Amino acid sequence: MTISSISDVEFGEELPVFEPDTSLETVKTFAKIIGWGGARFSDHEAARKEGFPGAIVPGILSQGYLVAMIHQWAPQAEIKQIDTIFRAAVVADESHQITGVVTDINEDENLVEIDITVVNSKGETRVFGTASVEIACEK
Amino acid sequence: MDFDKDISELREKFLNDDFDEQTFEIDPVNTIEYAKLCGETASRFLDPEDENFQASPTYVASLTGSRSLPKGFPRFGVGMDAGKGVECFRPLRPGSTITGRTHLHDIYTKTGRSGRMVFTVSRIEFFDEAGAHLANSDSRIVMREKR
Repeated sequence: MTISSISDVEFGEELPVFEPDTSLETVKTFAKIIGWGGARFSDHEAARKEGFPGAIVPGILSQGYLVAMIHQWAPQAEIKQIDTIFRAAVVADESHQITGVVTDINEDENLVEIDITVVNSKGETRVFGTASVEIACEK
Repeated sequence: MDFDKDISELREKFLNDDFDEQTFEIDPVNTIEYAKLCGETASRFLDPEDENFQASPTYVASLTGSRSLPKGFPRFGVGMDAGKGVECFRPLRPGSTITGRTHLHDIYTKTGRSGRMVFTVSRIEFFDEAGAHLANSDSRIVMREKR
């Protein structure tokens, strides 16, 4: 179910899990369009030589996945604030899940707070944070 | 909040003074590709014909100034990306030109078993050509202090 009004949102609600495209090809293309040319984003072997477990997903792409998950859940939601902590590398070509849970609802200001995480296939949290989103009240 | 003496001095000297200014032309081709790669499917991020066409909210995080720390700021160690934050005030319209001004927003420390870690938060404030404040983008850098 997608959310179209803040009155549809429930405290503690878990957002539908989003599985992002972390393929090396996507990561390379993303790094290229934002002007980050480092081999750590485009080549597993080169990244390992730099001490990473493999080519890594730029932190801001992880942040983009988190926002995309929120928009899949509430297509008209407006992101007011997002803050993310990069705890450990998100490795390209590895499966990850993007999760979120509603932690506060402010119906006076149409604001919803969501705890957000990027978790790898071992269940390890790689990125976590919070988002504040505005969801209009149904007229 | 109490700070170590050296950090208090750095806060006094460096916080909230703009040290960089850049202009950015927001290319719709880039914003659309950015949105697609993040997994966005809404037409307002992907279709230039959408009346509310705009860049993804976190697109501003990809826009960087010419330097992330002010001149003269001490290097405590190798800097690592510790996190990003974005605040959105108005939609960022592809095709527009915006200005980003950078200042140090915060300096603080955490101490663990391996010693002191120094965190800096550099904030870029983005404005449109009319001077309207569009967004803030925060970059948190952590430096493990050399012993």
